[in-house]
Amino acid sequence: MTATQGTAAPSAGPILELDDLGVIFTTETGEVPAVRGVSLHVSPGETLALVGESGSGKSTIALAAMGLLAGNARATGCATIAGTQVVGAHEADLVALRGRTVSMVFQEPATALDPLTRIGKQIAEVIRNHREVSAKDAATEAVELLRRVGIPEPEMRATAYPFQLSGGQRQRVVIAMAIANEPALLIADEPTTALDVTVQAEILDLLRRLAVETGTGVLLVTHNMGVVADFADRVAVMYHGEIVETGAVEDVLLRPSHDYTKRLLAAVPRLSVAEAGRPAAPAATTRPDTEPVVELRDISVVFGRGKGAVRALDGVSLAVHAGETLGLVGESGSGKSTASRVALGLIPPTSGTVSLFGTDLAGTRSRARRALRAGIGVVLQDPVASLDARMTVGECIAEPLRVHRRKLSAKDRQSKVAAVLDRVRLPRELARRAPRELSGGQRQRVSLARALVLEPRLLVADEPTSALDVSVQEAVLDVISELQDELGFACLFVSHDLAVVQHFAQRVVVMRAGRVEEQGATGATLLHPETDYTRRLLAAVPVPDPVIQRGRRAERLATLAAGRTGAQG
Amino acid sequence: MSTSSYLIRRVLQAVVVIVIVTIVVFGLLHALPGGPARGILGPQATAQQIASFNHEQGLDKPLPVQYFYYLNQLLHGDLGSSYTLNEPVSQLISERLAKTLVLTALSAIVGLVLAIPLGMWQAVRRNKPVDYVITTLSFIAYSTPVYFLGLILVLVFSQALPWFPSQAPQGDTLAQVFSDPLALVLPVVAGAASMIAVFSRYMRAATLENLSEDYVRTARAGGSRSRSILWRHVFRNSLTPVIAMLGYYVPVLFGGALVVEQLFNYPGMGLLFWTAAQSSDYPVLLGCVLVIAIATVVGTLLADIVQRIIDPRVKAGRA
Repeated sequence: MTATQGTAAPSAGPILELDDLGVIFTTETGEVPAVRGVSLHVSPGETLALVGESGSGKSTIALAAMGLLAGNARATGCATIAGTQVVGAHEADLVALRGRTVSMVFQEPATALDPLTRIGKQIAEVIRNHREVSAKDAATEAVELLRRVGIPEPEMRATAYPFQLSGGQRQRVVIAMAIANEPALLIADEPTTALDVTVQAEILDLLRRLAVETGTGVLLVTHNMGVVADFADRVAVMYHGEIVETGAVEDVLLRPSHDYTKRLLAAVPRLSVAEAGRPAAPAATTRPDTEPVVELRDISVVFGRGKGAVRALDGVSLAVHAGETLGLVGESGSGKSTASRVALGLIPPTSGTVSLFGTDLAGTRSRARRALRAGIGVVLQDPVASLDARMTVGECIAEPLRVHRRKLSAKDRQSKVAAVLDRVRLPRELARRAPRELSGGQRQRVSLARALVLEPRLLVADEPTSALDVSVQEAVLDVISELQDELGFACLFVSHDLAVVQHFAQRVVVMRAGRVEEQGATGATLLHPETDYTRRLLAAVPVPDPVIQRGRRAERLATLAAGRTGAQG
Repeated sequence: MSTSSYLIRRVLQAVVVIVIVTIVVFGLLHALPGGPARGILGPQATAQQIASFNHEQGLDKPLPVQYFYYLNQLLHGDLGSSYTLNEPVSQLISERLAKTLVLTALSAIVGLVLAIPLGMWQAVRRNKPVDYVITTLSFIAYSTPVYFLGLILVLVFSQALPWFPSQAPQGDTLAQVFSDPLALVLPVVAGAASMIAVFSRYMRAATLENLSEDYVRTARAGGSRSRSILWRHVFRNSLTPVIAMLGYYVPVLFGGALVVEQLFNYPGMGLLFWTAAQSSDYPVLLGCVLVIAIATVVGTLLADIVQRIIDPRVKAGRA
């Protein structure tokens, strides 16, 4: 890689400067201001984190800075990159800027790459957009870039198509494209949100290393305070399209001055970590000695046949008792959702037994099985897709009653719906509204109301708050645990978020590649894990405290390095 | 799955489909009132004449037996003889098949070469005047019956403006058909019109969908120009669904040829089918339907294979 482009050379002023930036969307109902009066700057070599909840306008700012706003959006004010005004610039000037002076890393690595073009070629395209390089030299450079972002066997991988790579590898390819021309500014829009924590930690390490090596300024857009603590030098907090607070990362995260920042930080679930050197507290693993509400015994599930068969679960045993919450954690592909579906009776196990409310599911006929299912409530991840858009909220909630309580009169049904709406703390009037008129948090509470309307003995919640903002997540989790105290149902809580599970579940099962890695009381297992895998998983979670996180990062990297040299030696 | 085992599996599937088609068509044709004897011998034929004709042709045997006779002949390349033209069906079809294939292939190529850029242009200029004009023309072209469009073409470009002949070149060989390329223009245009209409719509929709994909934003963020993004990325991604549609469009093309050939007196399979249908010439009809069925199955097979080449995900079973 040559250093002759000069764009990355440290210059006197900031590389990105926004001055009174505004963005207005023209919609059918009129003009909606998404961003108002935003001023900020990023200096060469520094990382500014732009944080805020969904709809706060942080992604819009990132796109406006690149001149990549959608057709119905209009920017006002000033956005300057390396002295070039972006707002109102000609497309030809922006084309010269993009991919050379400023680059972007996107949230969704699954869709960010052209599915039909080999990845080496996609990287070479960015190189040749800005430099007079032969196709052959660009291809060689693309291989070098793949090596630099940590793709193993880059010569071979360069000829791969995006679908042949994992999510983390795809994100590395997107990063390789972004740094191909050594830009002076890198805009990263939620670069790790779609990735598992261990992969997230690797991608953040990579971005940090690249930024330090080349003196690149980084604008990091994220909702994750742990990522901010891990990566940022300064923080700007956005709320309703405006910046409410800016400052050094220690000041904003540890001593927030604005009310909104305080509320936001208070809602972030914090992973408690064992202090080094303190001996493990004796684990209080007293299990309730009642009969479990649901029990999986030595469950295996194999999908497909022959060579293509996939063993999704392998000898999984777990049980949930009345009144307790069991957290089921693990990375994507670990089998946690499959296990929850086996518990629901939706996936028949290849071997092993499932007993639900003391009855063996394998021995039940469809009618009896349906009766058993009336005792289970389910809340799923996606608040939009899990409610029928053509039904009113009331009809959605009443549907289990129509199926399982056919003799109930319409009036009784209505009063039950009203009662359960009260329970999840939603106004009764909402019953007549359509799901699309509700916010994400309200919709998840409607899902919860539907799950609870039959007063189930078991609630299965599969990532119920992953799609929600932290403040909303807190409210939904509070409602679940209050209702659990009141109604005494057992809860199987599937989540990838260790901090949430630590706060919410009494016991935890850690899964990995279809097996139970370890299980026990949450306090013991997540503070003093017995297996290396759980330790690595916990070490990869960034905590929203920059001082502690710095120490954790150093510790994690040291452990990894020790592991590597140990393996070599 | 490896390419060879995939091909073997797909060809076997195709054979099964063709066998089913022969059974269905055989059954349908024999269910028609009157039967073939009445059709050949005319309304004046006596019951005795009909019975002896049926006996001669094996038409008095049970249907499954007749079917297996037919299938056995088929495997020896024998499609039977025409009742009315006193020639082997295989010969009648082989003389005409090439000409029909040329006509439909020309229509399809002209149609696609125009439809694909038109659709992309509309997508890029979405909701601009160009888009509306092409959309309107497409709906007019699509909703105009082929025979009506053909008549208008003849009236305008052959009668009012004597640019093209109104009749296709006659003759038994391909060379004779190609002796007068000008005479092919109107049949090809008539055949291509609805194809342009339909496929410019598909291409417009596919292009619009791909233009809003994340990878387009990634390419823009990397400094690629809109034009190069359109041709390097969006074009190929939009083409795959259109190619899949093309496979299913083969029978429609043959259906169009039926009308176009009759209209321009083009001596192909369509004209043969038309005359055979009018005279209840069973062996010819069965032969034609079989050939069209094979062409359709081969068409979809080719479309699938091309898609497999363009889109690596298909081969991996991911798309």
